[in-house]
Amino acid sequence: MPLYIDYKKCIGCKRCYELCPIDIYAWDEEKEQPIVAYEYECSHCGICWMICPKRAIDITLPASCW
Amino acid sequence: MGLEQISEQVIDTDVLVVGGGVAGCCAAARAAENGLKVTLTEKGHTERSGNAGQGIDHYGPFPNDGITWKELIQQVEASQNDINGGGRFANSNVLFQHFKHKLWSMEELEKLGVPVKWHDGDYYWFPRADHPRGARYWLRVHWQDIKPILSKAIKKRGVNVLERTMVIDLLTTEGTVVGATALNVRTGAFIVIKAKAVVMATGMFQRCYENEGIMPWNYNLRYDGCPATLSGDGYALAYRAGAEIVNMDCNGHGYRLRDDLLISGGNLVHNDGLPSNDMTWTGEEIATTNTEKYAELERKGLTPLYRNLAHLPDDYHKRMEIAFVDEKMVDFKFAEERGANPRTHHYELCALKPLTFMAATGIFIDENHRSTMDGLYGIGDCAAPLHDCANAAVSGFLTADYLPDIISKTAEPVIDEAQVENQKKLALAPLKVKKGAEPLEVECSVRYICEHYVSIFKSEGKLREGLRRIGSLRREFLPKMKAGNPHELMRALEARNVLNLAEAHLNACLSRKETRGFFVRLDYPERDPARDDMLTFQRMENGKEVLEIKQVPGLKLEYAKEIE
Repeated sequence: MPLYIDYKKCIGCKRCYELCPIDIYAWDEEKEQPIVAYEYECSHCGICWMICPKRAIDITLPASCW
Repeated sequence: MGLEQISEQVIDTDVLVVGGGVAGCCAAARAAENGLKVTLTEKGHTERSGNAGQGIDHYGPFPNDGITWKELIQQVEASQNDINGGGRFANSNVLFQHFKHKLWSMEELEKLGVPVKWHDGDYYWFPRADHPRGARYWLRVHWQDIKPILSKAIKKRGVNVLERTMVIDLLTTEGTVVGATALNVRTGAFIVIKAKAVVMATGMFQRCYENEGIMPWNYNLRYDGCPATLSGDGYALAYRAGAEIVNMDCNGHGYRLRDDLLISGGNLVHNDGLPSNDMTWTGEEIATTNTEKYAELERKGLTPLYRNLAHLPDDYHKRMEIAFVDEKMVDFKFAEERGANPRTHHYELCALKPLTFMAATGIFIDENHRSTMDGLYGIGDCAAPLHDCANAAVSGFLTADYLPDIISKTAEPVIDEAQVENQKKLALAPLKVKKGAEPLEVECSVRYICEHYVSIFKSEGKLREGLRRIGSLRREFLPKMKAGNPHELMRALEARNVLNLAEAHLNACLSRKETRGFFVRLDYPERDPARDDMLTFQRMENGKEVLEIKQVPGLKLEYAKEIE
């Protein structure tokens, strides 16, 4: 799993959902939180990690990319 | 039935810009400033899309300090020669226009709000490592935020920006491009856009070769050094509509840096003119190597190869760290987490692998960025032979200045409703498929075919088998691709583009019976002089491919005079 969202830190600003170039996020309307909907399509570009105002997203290289 | 009944939205515009990267944004902003009605579609979001989505750290090269345009054009041609072998692969007139306008376009970028100067208020030039006079050549820039700035700039200028919108196909009437159909990849809305000019700015084509990751299926969009969105949409749309694409035989191969520090040549290699140091695992220094050299090293047991930056001075490393922040911050994080530090570690260069298509590949354009079809233009990486951020900006601005006059003389576009209905039916078909193949599975199959039947060392037998397989994959699985929602439909449309272009790639390689530069045909080891300055032109006509070998234009007399 390359992406880890710390939902305690997440303020629901939608930036990651709006800006992901690959469109891997979906939006949970009820909880007002992002969901990693297409994990295996993640290109590890790091844009969500870079733009998250609360650093609530961590991105790491999965073992298979080692 | 009217267009309103077939589609959720009908848009009428002067200019449709397809793709909101650096080229697309520059074209859209300036076309709007020039009084045109502009619509821009972007598959992702203009704030962080395209090759500069994570940022960019250099702009250039420039004619400067004793390097003339002529030398630069010759240098570009020479560097393409290194890759492609002797002969011309690029329309020199396009290169001429670009070098001529590079400084001007930098000033235009400043007007759009992109800061060009360094913190001390001056330009930060850095030289070319191999230039004898150490001439100022590239500009170092802090452009991590170039995309948010450009995104704001186009919206401020009244461009109708359709985020998360992927163009499906071009609409044509009697050989002229009159608009396009598109899909909102979040809502699933089917959109018809009527336009007097369509400017294609979707970047280069990458996804018909395997990515860096080793496994099929998992993380199969992990590409290094380019955004994973590059499914060649612009090439494929132009090709299917009947505009010529060129040099589909010219894909390069190179090293993949395994330790996640792949960044622009502007930094690792040319930063302040200091060369990096590539070596075999035994410490033997090697120059940039070619296919045969690599194979020889491998046979001798001298691989893996490493790139060494540890010998470079401390201030170089500091600058490089800033460069990472500017262009690809996450790579530095990954490298650190692996325990790899450029100050102390050597970076492994992965085996030589087929890579992205060359800058010489793309929609064939003239010096005004016109494709071979009326109403269609190509800018940025999407057009041959353009490449990099500077050419993206130049081509965008120049095209925007060329269009007002043309558009004032262009009649209202007439849309063929039957064509729209056909495109809609074909594009939305995967939504109705219940038992079928996932689009990425089809795409991975295309990549496997290209890796194994085209690859670096080509031969008639392998290429024919590859072509047979890809043809049957198209017949068997294009109609069976399934999509449960608009996002998956986008992947299906991308897979179709990748498949069409991979087939064009195979046809182009098969038609070229020679060995030259990076193009290696084991069954034709000699260079064929009859192919000097000749390019492979391909387009679709009535559902069939037309492939022609034609000469590439040389520098016009008036341009040649200007640079003497």
